[in-house]
Amino acid sequence: MINEAINALEDGIASLQTLLYVDAVQPLLYRLGLMGYDEDTYDALYWVIVGVLQIVVMYVVLRPLEAWFPAESWQDRKATRVDVLYTWIAKLGVFNVTFFFLLQPGFDRLQSLMAIHSVPDIQFDGLWPGVTDGPLVSFLIYLVALDFAGYWYHRWQHRFGVWWALHAVHHSQRQMSLWTDDRNHVLDTMIQAAFFAALSLFIGVEPGQYVVLVAVGNLLQSVQHVNARVRFGRVLERVLVSPSFHRRHHAIGYGHEGTRYGCNFGVLLPWWDMLFKTASWNSAQEPTGIRDQLPPPQGRSRDYGDGWWHQQAAAIARISRRLFPAR
Amino acid sequence: MTTRRFFLCSLRRSLCALLLCGLAGIAGSAFAADRVIVLDSAEAQLTLIDQATHKVVDTLPTGKEPHHLMITPDHESLIVANSVSNSLMFIDPRTGQLQRRMEGVDDPYQLGFSPDHRWFVTAALRLNRVDIYRYDGHNMTVAKRIPIGKTPSHLDFSSDGKTVFVTLQDSGELAAIDLATQTIAWRMPVGNAPAGLWMTPGDQYLLVGMTGEDDVAVVDWRKRQVVKRIPTGRGAHNFRSLDDGRHVAASNRVSNTISIIDYIDLTKTRDITGLLPGPDDMELTADRKFLWVTFRFARHVGVIDMNTYTLVDTIRVGRSPHGIYFSNRAPVLGPNPD
Repeated sequence: MINEAINALEDGIASLQTLLYVDAVQPLLYRLGLMGYDEDTYDALYWVIVGVLQIVVMYVVLRPLEAWFPAESWQDRKATRVDVLYTWIAKLGVFNVTFFFLLQPGFDRLQSLMAIHSVPDIQFDGLWPGVTDGPLVSFLIYLVALDFAGYWYHRWQHRFGVWWALHAVHHSQRQMSLWTDDRNHVLDTMIQAAFFAALSLFIGVEPGQYVVLVAVGNLLQSVQHVNARVRFGRVLERVLVSPSFHRRHHAIGYGHEGTRYGCNFGVLLPWWDMLFKTASWNSAQEPTGIRDQLPPPQGRSRDYGDGWWHQQAAAIARISRRLFPAR
Repeated sequence: MTTRRFFLCSLRRSLCALLLCGLAGIAGSAFAADRVIVLDSAEAQLTLIDQATHKVVDTLPTGKEPHHLMITPDHESLIVANSVSNSLMFIDPRTGQLQRRMEGVDDPYQLGFSPDHRWFVTAALRLNRVDIYRYDGHNMTVAKRIPIGKTPSHLDFSSDGKTVFVTLQDSGELAAIDLATQTIAWRMPVGNAPAGLWMTPGDQYLLVGMTGEDDVAVVDWRKRQVVKRIPTGRGAHNFRSLDDGRHVAASNRVSNTISIIDYIDLTKTRDITGLLPGPDDMELTADRKFLWVTFRFARHVGVIDMNTYTLVDTIRVGRSPHGIYFSNRAPVLGPNPD
């Protein structure tokens, strides 16, 4: 039954992909003399369609929850609008295209040099042929490995000043909603893509093969930011990062304090927080954001920007001030 | 497909299946139906299709991004090249079952054996490299990794086994590599996005599918000159010899047609139309009656009746189907002649 539903959905996506590609995208590539990108573009289009579907599912499932069972009550949703823009940019694959053209050639060159100079890599899915290369098993291995890396990546975003200045774009949202997950600085997104691409070179991952699981993983990260009282229960919240666990991470003073303190860094799995003793299971509601956004005396009413451009530029300004403090 | 034609096809297929079942009964356990093996490049799997009934019977895991496949010179194994997993899988060419694996083969996008079977060559499309391996009849050992122009994609050999030719898709070039010295002998421009390569009998010309254009370039490779362009269709891509002493099929990935080329007159004789999007790799049945083709952009494989030049069946497979093979195929003139 579930398989049939997934097959029907995949057929629908495939038909749409073919239609869009053959009637719109491929003629354009041909006319522009870019047929070298024929296959990559066709494959990428699949992810764009999956991304748009994710947005539809997020909206249909999570938006009513935000309306009916809000975790925080807001006067209006104006502040969430910019996050909708961030989400569309991410899900339409704009960053992926940028990565493909700017960074992919470098990583391909690195892989080539690794082979020429006999630098070993580990293909996790080849560790136990017949078992670890099965689609589900290999995906789960990579999921856990990448989530572990994701935990440390996130800790470092909070640990190093310049990096925190970038990551603060994500934390500066004081009305955390289903749209907040993709609210990140462009540079941060690119650094993250490069970090995971480098890692993938050594462990042979390509989660792109496992559409449903990747889509569910992305959806879970949107669920984590939802402004709704969604309880996972004592057991499930120790298996998967729950909205209350992640909301705690966003809580001013309780979940993070700039580069000085932080808890609940887990991306999909809270295991690493439990292992490295950074987990907090306190689910009390606290304001989210960054302390220096607050008015005095708690903060200094610092402006992190309202629109996309303003937020991106403000992060660069924060970095410059950190690197070149006024004397 | 009209209802009548569909009915006739179904009837013919049922009769074939009945006949095969009868033969199976006679042959007992020794009989194993041949499988059509299709690489679903975007899904890390291969699809097995019953060649008689056109039904998908199984899917088996491969490495990541399997694009092309190649029979070993002894015909005992079919090599599936997993380009992103950097590995080769040796599988049974009739059943698709795994025989063995070979790791550490960098980005094997395209692959081929020299006609003298001394060399095994891979084109690493992402890594802009051609790797030459010595072949001892069982194992491959690296002889040299050769950095070359952008996105090497397809290979063919001179029949004396001395030279491998490679198209450089994003450089718009054709290159020749001397296998004895493992050095680049020459490079020449051929046009926008060259892909498939096919050597005419007698090593006279190399035909090059110009995916960024609407023709097949005819290259006099000894003079390093494009001597003719045969208009085929937009996005000319790959070749399959038709084993009739005169013709070769060329798939056109933008026009969604297959052109039949007379390789003696160097002219196009006809187009097969009414296909699904993205015709790519092709394979011909031993009786030369059916041409199987992967439709890269439609997640299907098609079966073309070569008497009527019409598409008579389509079979749903995985995402981005690319390489295709079955063991009872018509002899291949090149690349990798039978």
